[in-house]
Amino acid sequence: MKNVLLKKTGISLFLISIMVFFIGPIVWFFALAIRPPETAFQNPPSLFFKPTLDSLKYVFVSPGDSLPQLFNSILISFGTILINLPLSFFAAYALSRYAIRGKSAIMGWYLGLLMGPAVVFLIPYFILINNIGLSGTRLSIILVLQLVTIPFSIWLLKSFIDDLPVEIEEAAQIDGAGTLKILSAITLPLCRPGVIVTMMFAFVFAWNNVLFPIILANAESATIQIGVFSYFTSSGVQWGQIAACATAAMLLPMIIFLALDKFVVRGLTFGSVKG
Amino acid sequence: MIGPSFIFLFALTAYPLYFSIKNAFRYWNLQTSPIPLQYIGLDNFKNVFAYTPFFASLRNTLIISFGGLIIELSLGFIIALALSARLKYVNIVRALLIMPVTIAPVIVGFMFRFMYWDIVGLIPWLANTIHFPQPDAGYLGSPITVLPALMLPDIWQWTPFFALVLYAAILGVPHEIIEAAKVDGASPVRIVRSVILPTIKPVIVVVGLLQLMRLFNTFDLVYVLTNGGPGDYSRTLSFSLFREGLINFNIGVAAAMTIIILLILNVIVFAYSKLFMKGTKL
Repeated sequence: MKNVLLKKTGISLFLISIMVFFIGPIVWFFALAIRPPETAFQNPPSLFFKPTLDSLKYVFVSPGDSLPQLFNSILISFGTILINLPLSFFAAYALSRYAIRGKSAIMGWYLGLLMGPAVVFLIPYFILINNIGLSGTRLSIILVLQLVTIPFSIWLLKSFIDDLPVEIEEAAQIDGAGTLKILSAITLPLCRPGVIVTMMFAFVFAWNNVLFPIILANAESATIQIGVFSYFTSSGVQWGQIAACATAAMLLPMIIFLALDKFVVRGLTFGSVKG
Repeated sequence: MIGPSFIFLFALTAYPLYFSIKNAFRYWNLQTSPIPLQYIGLDNFKNVFAYTPFFASLRNTLIISFGGLIIELSLGFIIALALSARLKYVNIVRALLIMPVTIAPVIVGFMFRFMYWDIVGLIPWLANTIHFPQPDAGYLGSPITVLPALMLPDIWQWTPFFALVLYAAILGVPHEIIEAAKVDGASPVRIVRSVILPTIKPVIVVVGLLQLMRLFNTFDLVYVLTNGGPGDYSRTLSFSLFREGLINFNIGVAAAMTIIILLILNVIVFAYSKLFMKGTKL
C-alpha cells in the first residue's frame, strides 16, 4: 500500500514538472502582453506586476492594425474550408467506398503534399500569382492553402467514412436511391461529426500557416500571424506588442483544440491513429 | 467523384514540378529578368554546391530531423507511460498538454526569442542561476549551441504530441495481456519492453515518419529565431531554398536545389519505409 502511494506521488511530481515545462512558457508569454514594459526583463524575473492594457490597446485599437489582420485571418481560414469541404468530401467518399486503381498511390501522393517541404511550392506559386495578377489578394492565399488542407481533409474524412457501415448505403441502393441521394440523405448526416472535426482542423491549419501569407500577402491582406512581425522593428523590439498580437493569434486554435478534445490525436495523425 | 479535387490538386502539384524541372536548367535571376534566360545545362546544380551553403544546410537539417525525432519520441513515450498510470486528474493534464501543439511555429519562435533574449531573458537568467555554461554570444549566437537552442522550441512544441498519441496507443493495449504478464511476475520495465512497445510499434513507426518529414522541413523557427546564423550554422535546407529563391531571387539555382532536396527526401522516406514499415499499413 505504501508502495502504491509512493509511486503515485512520484508520478504526480513528474507530471507537475512536465506541466510547468510545457505550459510555463505560454503563461509567461501571455503575461508579457499585459506587463508594464519595464518589468519584461527584470532580474530576477518579476512574477507579480500591475497589469496594463497598453500593449493590447496599442495593437488592436490604435495605432496598430492587428484588428483588420485578425479579420483577414478569419476570412482566409473560412474561405479555405469553404472550398475545401466539397472537394475533399466527395474525394474521401470515393476513396473510401470504391475500388479505384492506384488508390494507395493517390493516398501516398496526398501525404507527400501534406508533409513535403512547402517552400518547394512557394517559389513557383509566387511567380505564377504575380503573373496572373492575383498578387497580394486573399483569394491567392486561399487557393494555395488548398494544397495542404485538401490532402489533410481527405485523409481524415476517409478515416471517418471508413468507420461508417456500408450496409445502410447498400440497402438504400437496393431501394433505388442514386449516389447523390445516398450521399446527402445517409452518408453526410451520419458523418456529420467527422466533417465538423475535419473542418475545425483544416481551419486551424489555415490559421496557423505563415509560409504562404508571408510571401503572398501584402499590407492589406496580411494575417494576424504576419502582423506579429511588424512589431519587430529596426528601431527596437516591442515585446509587449508582439505578445499582445500573438495572444490573439494563439487563442482561437487553443479553443478549437479544447473543443476537439478526444479527436485531437486522430486529427493530428491524419486519421491513422484513432485515439 | 474524386475528379474535381484530383484535377485541382494535380494542377497545384504539376505546375511547381514543371516549373522547377524547366528552370533548373536555365539561367534566371528575377532581379535582372522577369523571364527565364538561356539554357545553361547543369550549371545551376553546380552552383548549388559551389555558392550556397548546401552541405552545411543538409548537415543541420539531418541533425535537427533525427535528433529532434529521437528526443521527442523518447520523452513523449516516458510522459505517455506516466499518463497511463491513470491518476485522477489525467484528463486535465491531457487537455493542457496539447496546448503547445496548437500554436503556430512562428509564434513559438517569438516566444522562445523572448525567453532567449540577450542576457536578460528567462533562459539566460535560469542558466546563470544554476551556473549552467553560457557562451558570450548567447545560446542562439554561438555556433556550438545554436542547433540545440533551435531544437529546444520544437522539442517543447511537439513532445506533447508524441505523449498524447502514444498515450492513446498504450490505452489500446489489451488489459488482459498486461495483467497476465504481471501475474507471471514480469517487472514493469519488462512489461514496457516486451508487451507495450511491440504492441504500439506500428503507431510509433507511422507518427515517427510524419514527424521526421515535418522536422526535415524546419523553416519557421529558423526564420524567427536565427535567420540561419551565426554564419550558416543554423541554416536548414528549407531556409536555404527560401533564401535562394525569395531573397536572392536566383530562381534557376533555387529550382535545381528543389530537385536535389526532393530527391534526398525521397531517399529518406524510402529507406525509412524499408527499414521500419515492412507490413505496416498507413
